[in-house]
Amino acid sequence: MTSSSAPSRKALSKIACNRLQKEMVEWQVNPPAGFKHKVTDNLQRWVIEVSGAPGTLYANEIYQLQVDFPEHYPMEAPQVIFLPPAPLHPHIYSNGHICLDILYDSWSPAMTVSSVCISILSMLSSSTVKQRPADNDRYVKNCRNGRSPKETRWWFHDDKV
Amino acid sequence: MEGGLGESTSVPPPQSPSCSGNGANDAGDFECNICFELAQDPIVTLCGHLFCWPCLYRWLHHHSHSQECPVCKALVEEEKLVPLYGRGKTQSDPRSKSYPGIDIPHRPSGQRPETAPLPDANQFANYGFGFMGGFVPMATARIGNFTLATAFGGLIPSLFNIQFHGFPDATVYGTTSGFPYGFHSFHGGHAHGFPQPSSRGQQADNVLKNLLLVIGVFVILALLCW
Ligand SMILES: [Zn+2]
Ligand SMILES: [Zn+2]
Repeated sequence: MTSSSAPSRKALSKIACNRLQKEMVEWQVNPPAGFKHKVTDNLQRWVIEVSGAPGTLYANEIYQLQVDFPEHYPMEAPQVIFLPPAPLHPHIYSNGHICLDILYDSWSPAMTVSSVCISILSMLSSSTVKQRPADNDRYVKNCRNGRSPKETRWWFHDDKV
Repeated sequence: MEGGLGESTSVPPPQSPSCSGNGANDAGDFECNICFELAQDPIVTLCGHLFCWPCLYRWLHHHSHSQECPVCKALVEEEKLVPLYGRGKTQSDPRSKSYPGIDIPHRPSGQRPETAPLPDANQFANYGFGFMGGFVPMATARIGNFTLATAFGGLIPSLFNIQFHGFPDATVYGTTSGFPYGFHSFHGGHAHGFPQPSSRGQQADNVLKNLLLVIGVFVILALLCW
């Protein structure tokens, strides 16, 4: 992201607002399987419940995603983190940050909250081991000052998990 | 799905519940893949993905790391974008104002191949000239600037008729495009060789005249009765 992904508390632009309303309507008509949007009147922050897919390591577990939208959504990616407790996963840090390329460098404005959710669930589902990333402690310590995952210089481990 | 939504997060009643995603499926085909509105100053990439020009421009120039299509990641070359020109709207774009602080240049214009040639023009001309021999100069002289092949073909019979009958009314006999008749009559020299379409036209003309006459009579009667 070239422009500052600064404090995501800047109000949504008109375009962002319109687009999010459309996404909200679409979600209500056709929510992605395994997700539940917890209704609030805050368009800029969505809290979404994820159910681990049956037959995976996370079956019967429920987690919460918090999605914050920047002023210039969808030109800029939303910030997506797990609220504690975050699932044990090789690409999910204990502070809830998720190492997933589409949330950062590979974001595209044609993606939606719904498509992001599906990617996250598929990332969970394909995991073969419940453990934290190798650099978890170092990374989490670096984020103590409340740094957003969008300010992290991520390098993406691999495409398999 | 354009407009419709107020500022509040009011939820319209779900249209047919089975419909997937796109609220209004018909309009969905013409929604920009970035803002999800009906595309404004629409532009299509070579990979076939539709965007508002301001949306795509802003993405390519201010946010993306590479020149790729937001939908399919195909390479996007600006000089190969295709604008869509629908009916009616001018190119002024109110949306560019809603991307504050960014100057969005004019949408690339279409690349127009040269005008298609008239389908049979040469064929007819050649055919006609070869066939008619010495009559051509006279024909062109009389026709003046009717140089189109169809008009040419169509006018032959009328010239013919003018020659032999002195009918000044070229339109009645001429423009109903009966060149087979025309050519034949030239060669055969039948004095009464009217092209058939023409006589039909004449009949129609007469019917029309009669109709007008009747109407005229009615009008006069009406006036008298008042
Ligand atoms: Zn758009
Ligand atoms: Zn594409």
